[in-house]
Amino acid sequence: MAVDTQDRPAATAAENESTATQDSRFQRYRVRTGMFAWLMHRLTGVGLVVYLVIHIWGLKSLSDPETFNALIAKYHSPLFKVGEFALLVAVAYHAMNGLRIVLIDFLGWSPKQKRLFVTLGAVTVLIILVGGWPSIYALGEWLFGPGTMPSLFL
Amino acid sequence: MAASKSNALNWFLHRITGTFLIFMLITHFWVQHYDHQVASVTHEVVTEKGAMPDYPDAAKEGVKAKFGPDAEATPYQVVMQRLADPVYAVLWKGFNILFLIVALHHGFYGLNNVLTDYIRNPMGRLVARSLSWTVALGLFIIGLYSVITAGW
Repeated sequence: MAVDTQDRPAATAAENESTATQDSRFQRYRVRTGMFAWLMHRLTGVGLVVYLVIHIWGLKSLSDPETFNALIAKYHSPLFKVGEFALLVAVAYHAMNGLRIVLIDFLGWSPKQKRLFVTLGAVTVLIILVGGWPSIYALGEWLFGPGTMPSLFL
Repeated sequence: MAASKSNALNWFLHRITGTFLIFMLITHFWVQHYDHQVASVTHEVVTEKGAMPDYPDAAKEGVKAKFGPDAEATPYQVVMQRLADPVYAVLWKGFNILFLIVALHHGFYGLNNVLTDYIRNPMGRLVARSLSWTVALGLFIIGLYSVITAGW
């Protein structure tokens, strides 16, 4: 991911030496934009697999109306509403960064990668704000009282 | 080993499933969170024990139209509303089975990539790979059962 470009030249020999001689299980990476994007992709990815496991397991309750109603009611508790928003952030980031990887790998958009990065970053923020509004609205109504939040498009 | 030979195919599939998931997730999110008639998650916080989330009028009317004037818009009934029409039931079940397969393959292939990066011992890798795909298979069976039997 950490591609050397003209405005970001290759690391100096001294820097390379410090990373080449370590022998621990985990690499000590030089964190740059591309590396940060990769690291976040990995962290959100693992988080989403954990969520997927819980989600599929929870849906077993569809076989019993009472259990399912209780589960969905629990999903509306404040803590779950915050979690719902965090889930959207993770999904939006992972999806848009994944799309960036696909466009670079399949369509050869690496020369355009700076513009691609900024554009998809803006789209991600938009998805989080518009898609996350129901959760923010719900939490606001609960914290500050009914009618205090603008319902906007809801 | 066959698994290592097919890595290029899996690498390719990971990108294909990822692209598919973007579109499937948009559909999934829309139905679950934003459609006023069939969304089972509403924008309301519930703190009282035993209390149910309040659904929009569109959902209440939809449930009454399908299950009679006494039917209440509980989360379960709102989901059943979607499955009440046999044509939609088949469509939704088909969509969810496909979604389940694509999500599990994408998630667990990705997880295996991460595990392979940190586990260097070949035996350890084999154990991690077998365990994680066993979990994936278990989840597939559980999920498939839930989707097929929903509304029975």
